[in-house]
Amino acid sequence: MNELRPLATIGLLLRRFTLRHWRSAPRATALQIFILALGIAVFFSIRLANRATVSSFQNFAGLLTQQSDWQISAPAGELPVSVLGELRSALGDDAVEIIPVVETTASKPHTQREEMIGSRQSFHLLGLDLVAIQNLASASEADHGWFDQQSAGTNYAGGNQFWNLLRKKNAVFISQTMAEKANLKIGDAFPVVIDENVANLEVAGLIPTSPARPNPPEDLLMMDLPALQRLAHREGKLDRIEFIVADGADADARRGKLHDQLVALGKNRWTVFSPADRRASAATMTRAFRMNLTILSLVGLLVGLYLIFQSLDGAVVRRREEIGVLRSLGVTEKIIRRAWLLEAMLLGFFGGALGVLLGWGGAQFAVRFIGKTVNTLYYATTVNSARLDAGEFFIAIGLALAASLVAGWWPARQAAKIPPAQILSRHAENQERKSLLQSAPFALWLLATSGLLVLLPPLRFSGALRFPLGGYAAALGLIFGGGILCSQVLRQLAQMLRFAGNYSVAAKIATSHLRKTSSRHRLAAAGLLCAVTMAAGMIILVTSFETTMRGWIINTFQADLYISSDGAQSAATQNRISPTTWHAIVANPNLADANVMQSTAIEIGGISTMLVGVDLEFTRRHPNLSWQNPPRDEKIYHFAQNENLALASESFSERFRVRRGDKIKIPTPGGEKVLTIAGIFSDYGNERGSLVVERRHFAAWFSDELATSVIVMTRTNVSPENVQADLSAQFPGLSILTNRYLRSEILRIFRQTFSVTYALELIGIIVAVIGLGMTLSSILLDRRAELTTLRALGWQRREMAWATAIEGALLSTCGVAVAMIVSLGLGWILIYVINKQSFGWTLQFAIPWPQLAALGMLVIGAGTVVAYFVGRWGSGLAADREE
Amino acid sequence: MKKTISIILTLFFFLLMKANAQTADKTSDGFALPQAGKVFSFPRDHGSHDDFKIEWWYITGHLFGDDGRRFGFQATFFRSAGAPANSTNANNPDFGADKLFLAHMALLDVKSGKFVHEQRLNRDGWDAFSATNGLNIRNGNWSLRMTDTNRETIDLRGPLDGETGFQLSLQPRKPLVVFGKNSVSRKAADPTASSYYLTFPRLQADGTVKFNSETSHVHGEAWMDHEISSSQLGTGEVGWDWCCLQFKDGREIMAYRMRRKDGSQDDFSTLAWVSTNGVVTQLPSAEFKMQTQRTWSSPLTGANYPISMKVQTRDPQSGLPVNFLLEPLAENQEITGGGNLAYWEGACRIRDDAGKEIGSAYLELTGYAGNLNKSLR
Repeated sequence: MNELRPLATIGLLLRRFTLRHWRSAPRATALQIFILALGIAVFFSIRLANRATVSSFQNFAGLLTQQSDWQISAPAGELPVSVLGELRSALGDDAVEIIPVVETTASKPHTQREEMIGSRQSFHLLGLDLVAIQNLASASEADHGWFDQQSAGTNYAGGNQFWNLLRKKNAVFISQTMAEKANLKIGDAFPVVIDENVANLEVAGLIPTSPARPNPPEDLLMMDLPALQRLAHREGKLDRIEFIVADGADADARRGKLHDQLVALGKNRWTVFSPADRRASAATMTRAFRMNLTILSLVGLLVGLYLIFQSLDGAVVRRREEIGVLRSLGVTEKIIRRAWLLEAMLLGFFGGALGVLLGWGGAQFAVRFIGKTVNTLYYATTVNSARLDAGEFFIAIGLALAASLVAGWWPARQAAKIPPAQILSRHAENQERKSLLQSAPFALWLLATSGLLVLLPPLRFSGALRFPLGGYAAALGLIFGGGILCSQVLRQLAQMLRFAGNYSVAAKIATSHLRKTSSRHRLAAAGLLCAVTMAAGMIILVTSFETTMRGWIINTFQADLYISSDGAQSAATQNRISPTTWHAIVANPNLADANVMQSTAIEIGGISTMLVGVDLEFTRRHPNLSWQNPPRDEKIYHFAQNENLALASESFSERFRVRRGDKIKIPTPGGEKVLTIAGIFSDYGNERGSLVVERRHFAAWFSDELATSVIVMTRTNVSPENVQADLSAQFPGLSILTNRYLRSEILRIFRQTFSVTYALELIGIIVAVIGLGMTLSSILLDRRAELTTLRALGWQRREMAWATAIEGALLSTCGVAVAMIVSLGLGWILIYVINKQSFGWTLQFAIPWPQLAALGMLVIGAGTVVAYFVGRWGSGLAADREE
Repeated sequence: MKKTISIILTLFFFLLMKANAQTADKTSDGFALPQAGKVFSFPRDHGSHDDFKIEWWYITGHLFGDDGRRFGFQATFFRSAGAPANSTNANNPDFGADKLFLAHMALLDVKSGKFVHEQRLNRDGWDAFSATNGLNIRNGNWSLRMTDTNRETIDLRGPLDGETGFQLSLQPRKPLVVFGKNSVSRKAADPTASSYYLTFPRLQADGTVKFNSETSHVHGEAWMDHEISSSQLGTGEVGWDWCCLQFKDGREIMAYRMRRKDGSQDDFSTLAWVSTNGVVTQLPSAEFKMQTQRTWSSPLTGANYPISMKVQTRDPQSGLPVNFLLEPLAENQEITGGGNLAYWEGACRIRDDAGKEIGSAYLELTGYAGNLNKSLR
């Protein structure tokens, strides 16, 4: 016999065997591909949506000029305008453009007193020197400039329009998209809320665009810098300064030199970073959130892996005679193994390709939910579409191929081991070698290892990012261990239900099959367990979180009214209440007490966090902090004694690894301050952590009295609603919320952040239930001889369907029962290890029995129904049907 | 963006073109007009005159490197007011809305013929200003300052990009002269179209020039104008040709020819001789001619510039007619920043009728990239 050429043989096997089987069972093949595709789609959509929200954090100034080489901003507070002159003098005649930037947010005024927070359209206001930025004209011609739009073709020669525009207080340039959507023309005005004021902005023109730059986003409003400073009460202050080094052969050296100069000049007054650093820092803010979502998005794929594995494993069993023939014809083990792996890869490829397609569609939905969460908790984004990304595309396809290879590896090995002699004993016993995957001691070892893994501390990365590797590994170990135990339980369950056969033949047949469980039974149960455990674990986490949040909200939000700028619609808002206004509020005779809060983002050791100033004495009069570690004495509450003291939130304590009594240095415009942590409190509203100090010290350090919010207690005989109405009429640019409303809004936002999680879990369960159906149909194919016999014995289709339904119900019940027990462990890991290490929040463990029961019933019900229909389909199978 | 810059440039040129005067001492929008008999006081009058609408400081020169290289340079700082200085407009000291500063820098490397130029526009404030008590002007990283008021030493810095630029110390070799009659330089038939025209006709220039990252230590001679006005030129003109000639014999000529629509030379065109000891002899329009010898078409703007001119006039010293041929050191010395407001500002050598090189000059040609008047309407 001529020696077989491996490649040619594999090609032949692919055509004559794999594709033949696929053709003969197109629906089963399609389902396999679909399951894999669903897993990949979920992963891909979350990745794309994550990427879109990260990339939506853009440097708006870069949209109008060119990307800067360096930027500086104050580590705390703002930069004074006076540093501009200092910088120009220090840089001498170096060829460097210095671009001051002011940014703030605004929103449309409210139409009703209380409405969903974040539901109104927000704008990003960018203030640049409209005259100076023209020195940065891009090489390609813009379609229009800043100052030539107002003349509308009329004689411009008088030049008055130019000066008028420069002197106008409310002139704003808008995006083409906004102009079209809102039907705005030059000269039209529209109202926005900035700080506590409703301002009418007048459209001066469209933001110039250029083919060389991306189009400005719809929500970008551009103003002349001093006009925006005036509008936002920020005269003399800048958010950051950008620097562009002139191009040229030695530009890199000059960039390096500029960086060193800026660092040397800044000392502690500013930090120097590149636009990429800034994007990375924004990405760091959401990294833990995104990472957790990505990991969750892999649930569907993990469940799918079980199914692909069992499906290929089943195919090996069914095709063993055929493989035996091939082996007799001289096809080597290696070739057989490769042919199987190739088949798995083909599945992976088609599954991946379909998954990418589905995922891209899914990303358009996911991005809205993720964008909402990022907007509420991290920074302003109005992203509402996700773009296809080549990198993510290849990662998804690669993951699909890798997953299919992992799932195909064991079946390929099994197929390769089928001896040629097998052809001679057609009815030889299907010998299933006992593997680790059936070993109870191995399962117990996995569970024990998980128990140890939870003790590992998190991995720490730059930007105070923590990754609970031990927690995730423990969760995986728990799910795998539980899966193996599940197959053991399945057999025991069937044994226990043996008596049922006395009452029903269908039950007898069903339990007899389960007493000698095949690897496919075990895998289906394990897949189901995986999906249900993850879903139940997440339900426990979310319920625990919500229970904790409710307690915290009740304790923290005790004031009658909460007042903030109506322009504050996202976490990144810079809208504040002016001292004049908050003094007027505090002086209202209907108020019994008030606490004015100031806050600013600060950087400690390059890590961004929040510094908050409140009247600490107020927190003693109206205890509203939930303590992790209460202060040891009363000093923190006394103005004369608390200048060097601070309270830290639990997240802050975790991120910066400080405990009560530790000292921490914080930057202020007046220089560094050393604060001692007097106590640690719970705060579930801010993952970045916050440091709370006495407001009057804060105001002195930052020479700033702009308030972020004011919380007030009304007099006992005065209705908060009446005060709310009075204040709203007096200050139409303020958002004044009652206690009841704010609490409900916080819970709504909280639930909104978990909406994607629920969707991901649901998909995992759908995959698992489909997988159960696939498993049963594959098992019925194996049993076609038995089915023929049953038909010959007079069994009806319905009876055969019932037998399969009972088998499916038992399988699901077993998977769900074990999953419920395992999910308690997983819930514990999620709450006390993964969540605590990722976000630093201590949650109270709560088990939502009714929800878990409903989940269990739903899965068992769905499993039974699917099994019934598979049984009906199987009852009609011909004895010689191949697959 | 370039379109926007051209609009703002238009503002500057418009100020030159349109006479808005209503009374003898003020324009209709309240700006001061040059008054006969003005007595200048220095160093204050080297500085900014914010009661006038427009003002510029203009320096050109020829530089010779120790390494044998030759350069021509131009530096012009404009100030333009949007409203009278005593306006009640609340002005932000860091980001002003009452004054604009425009500046042009250009550098020619004669050997390679490479011409680099840049334009800068800034509002009054942290990055651009002109002091009112003496010569101290900045526009971005470009600056012009009198560092020693006794010796009248001037420091000029003009980095064009990271690799090209110049830094010069300018020392007057002749006293400052004032062009015009009784301190007022007339530009058009309208008596208010006029300026104060102060000039250092010859300055010693020393410093460094960086061209394509190569630095040369240079020495040479420069010319500096400081002109103060509120409305300068009349209607009916399509542009002007201006030149300054520095002769090896120590004398200079300043001449401008206002071109009318029909190609004729306006009667208010002028040629002025500066003697070796700084005495100005001003000749009327009828006593000089500027004749085109050679033109060059700009591939960028399409403008056809008369880059070589013959200046025909009378030598007041000898009383004899003289001809001076202005021959450009490079063809492409066009400043293109302002679209159809592009102009040619070029370094030239001067030859006499015998073809002998007798000095250096700078020639300014405006209104060739389209009718200035048309572009302003």
